[in-house]
Amino acid sequence: MYFACDLCIPSSYKSGEYPVFLFSMSMEDYDYLFKIVLIGNAGVGKTCLVRRFTQGLFPPGQGATIGVDFMIKTVEIKGQKVKLQIWDTAGQERFRSITQSYYRSANALILTYDITCEDSFRCLPEWLREIEQYANNQVVTILVGNKIDLAEKREVLRQRAEDFAESQSMLYLETSAKESDNVERLFLDLACELIQEAKQNKLDNNDTAPMPGEGKTISYLSCCNLN
Amino acid sequence: MAAEELPSEFDVVILGTGLAESVVAAAFSRVGQRVLHLDRRSYYAGNWASFTFNALLTWIQEHHEESQPEEVQDWSSLLEEGEELIYLSTRGSSSITNLQVFCYASEEDEEEEAPNTTEEDQGGDDEVKETPETESADSNEEEKKQKAGGTPAEEEEEQASQTEGEEPTTSAGQSQSEPTRKKISFAQLVKEGRRFNIDLVSKLMYSRGSLVDLLIKSNVSRYAEFKNVTRILTYRDGKVEQVPCSRADVFASRQLSVVEKRKLMRFLTSCVEETEEQRAYNGRPYLEFLCDQKLGDNLQHFLLHSIAMVTEDTPTEEGLASTRHFLRCLGRYGNTPFLFPVYGLGEIPQCFCRMCAVFGGIYCLRHSVSCLLLDKDTNRCKAVIDSRGQRISCSHFVVEDGFIGADWKREATPTRYLSRAVLITDSSILPSDSDQQVSMVTVPPIAAGCPAVKMVELCPSTMTCMPGTYLVHLTCQSAGSAYQDLSPVVTRMFRTPESHDQESSPTVLWCLYFNMADGSGLEGEGHDLPNNVFLCSGPDAGLGHEHAVRQAQAIFQKILPEEEFCPPAPNPEDIVYDGDNNSPSTPGDGETLEGEEEETPEGEEKVEGEEKEEKVEGEVAKEEKVEGEVEKEEKVEGEVEKEEQSLQTEE
Repeated sequence: MYFACDLCIPSSYKSGEYPVFLFSMSMEDYDYLFKIVLIGNAGVGKTCLVRRFTQGLFPPGQGATIGVDFMIKTVEIKGQKVKLQIWDTAGQERFRSITQSYYRSANALILTYDITCEDSFRCLPEWLREIEQYANNQVVTILVGNKIDLAEKREVLRQRAEDFAESQSMLYLETSAKESDNVERLFLDLACELIQEAKQNKLDNNDTAPMPGEGKTISYLSCCNLN
Repeated sequence: MAAEELPSEFDVVILGTGLAESVVAAAFSRVGQRVLHLDRRSYYAGNWASFTFNALLTWIQEHHEESQPEEVQDWSSLLEEGEELIYLSTRGSSSITNLQVFCYASEEDEEEEAPNTTEEDQGGDDEVKETPETESADSNEEEKKQKAGGTPAEEEEEQASQTEGEEPTTSAGQSQSEPTRKKISFAQLVKEGRRFNIDLVSKLMYSRGSLVDLLIKSNVSRYAEFKNVTRILTYRDGKVEQVPCSRADVFASRQLSVVEKRKLMRFLTSCVEETEEQRAYNGRPYLEFLCDQKLGDNLQHFLLHSIAMVTEDTPTEEGLASTRHFLRCLGRYGNTPFLFPVYGLGEIPQCFCRMCAVFGGIYCLRHSVSCLLLDKDTNRCKAVIDSRGQRISCSHFVVEDGFIGADWKREATPTRYLSRAVLITDSSILPSDSDQQVSMVTVPPIAAGCPAVKMVELCPSTMTCMPGTYLVHLTCQSAGSAYQDLSPVVTRMFRTPESHDQESSPTVLWCLYFNMADGSGLEGEGHDLPNNVFLCSGPDAGLGHEHAVRQAQAIFQKILPEEEFCPPAPNPEDIVYDGDNNSPSTPGDGETLEGEEEETPEGEEKVEGEEKEEKVEGEVAKEEKVEGEVEKEEKVEGEVEKEEQSLQTEE
């Protein structure tokens, strides 16, 4: 069993300053573990994207998310095993009541809207405000326009979304969870981006160590040092 | 989005998202009950919330404004045969009173005007006392002097003018001898506001307390991270001292003589089990018991105020019980018995809400219940009418105490209050090698008749304050207003314009005082409630979370006595998806939840990470150690000196 999870324990954690997790995670063989969080209006297809990616299913069926906290998929990128922990909103977006703690310690955010629904696009600035408020500074955000299989009902032009994404320095991708268009690519691109960020962070660690509590994902139970 | 209608039938409707309500919500949802969880506020956790600095300023403003009672709408048209309408309180929460804000940081980085008042102060609320104008003028003068002194202050970072510059009462002479520190302005606090997570209630988690046990048992713990409280401090004879409480601390302590170390270890060993000698003191003060142990002033102070955390007249059996609790919690996760959640205590109720949502609970903030529909014959609440006039039927209704009308409360006992102060300071109350200490500080009554104050100092790595600052929470049972109760302690231990001779103390940049209703005064039985309506109280004065967890469990068991309270949620990694029906098996289906039982995470067993190798084997032993450690003491007494020497050489 080896642990090469570089970014997991930032070098700023000196002995005794580790965060304490009260749960144990199954120990696995992977190089990176990232927490990816989905947000966006209800009904834009967030759960479908996750299901399509992690299980190759569509449609996921109503109520299927009951009792499921997050989905896991391990992918291999350039010979490195990357474990993606993908969190869904648990329906709390329906009445605009997502808990702040949902955003904490996310490495990446997938901000999703429905290209056939102008309203879901107009709400994006509101979501960005929440991100700014509660997510950590280094979070990677990607804007996703879903449901391109319904091209004839498109309400939001691609150019408009691209411009918006650029103005907010986000990546942009259009997907179809139904046809499985770009879904794989979405998560793999994100994983690549996150690996790069992680490496960059590691390089930068000497001068600007990441803040403890931000961006580390491994469970670590601080042990008492009584002797 | 907001236009979406709520479903109209639930098993349980819960109003208020404080800790007890949230635990109740998670518990019901987890066993398959349909839960609707509402809060009139725009944020989670009610009086248990944590705010960014800016959100806290908004909260203060809202509480200053006279809360307008909402218009009472007449919903009687929704009544059915044999039903009665009962309106809930439409007033804003009256649980917060005596808000007072003081800003001692300069207003702007460079601006020279009115540095001593915040926007709230200028808002002209009569409850807000402004620092005298003359003093603020002084402060301006000093700042000018300092800047004229040639400090290059082009950038915030480079603004290395001395802290005293903002300290109106400090003379220029003193300031020269002080080390140079970065000055933090009010503007910077606002700019970096999101780095703060300021708790309304200040508590810690006992590492073997009921909240930690519940978090582990239910798997809700996976939503949060925690930090150890790294040291226990106490205020004594005008000084802040570290309290040695673990064995390592005792050996490393420099304040204690070798004799005291032996005495302390022997005492801690002896109090683990109840003895005849102890029983003889039942009913008599713990202080008397401690005196008769001939421990000396030092140890007696530590044991009474910092370890048992009781007062001088607490009976012996109670004092011993809290001493034992302290010792039991010691060493589970670190050198102190306490944990603190990263990002603040407000995370905890939200974590339970997330668990509720994951199991199908529906969440709606900014949404309230305006009245209940009672069945006259059975005295049961059949349905609620929400703030939009929708009738929602429910079998049970759980509500935060603050939302219930006064006419339902029996005012037999007057509401008790807690006094709270929140300070943002520029340095630690006891500087040490590490600037990332999380400290629990016990402050015994500073004069006869004054309350004992519990203080928690949080460092930036708890993600509750910006780098370069500390967040200090003070709490006590109120005797007067929060300002009357706590400002004497603040003035003595910190530097404010009112304090004298405090050159080495941390400077207070900003502080807030308020009183909050003490939730421990409320017991559901005392109210004339329909028999399927349950009240949850707000935060109590206790340091731990026992009160809220107990309350939540009691409500759950009253409604569903047969069901398990918060059984472990399955680990997402163990859920097996069945390819045929394209849906995962879910708990309750009893299908292919492989590994759920075996994997029931106890949470505390595994140590991962770099130091894993050595630690894992020691893990089991560690668990025993709390008790074992103390017992071993008899044998190793002779080693005390040896260990001490080796510790000193290490240093």
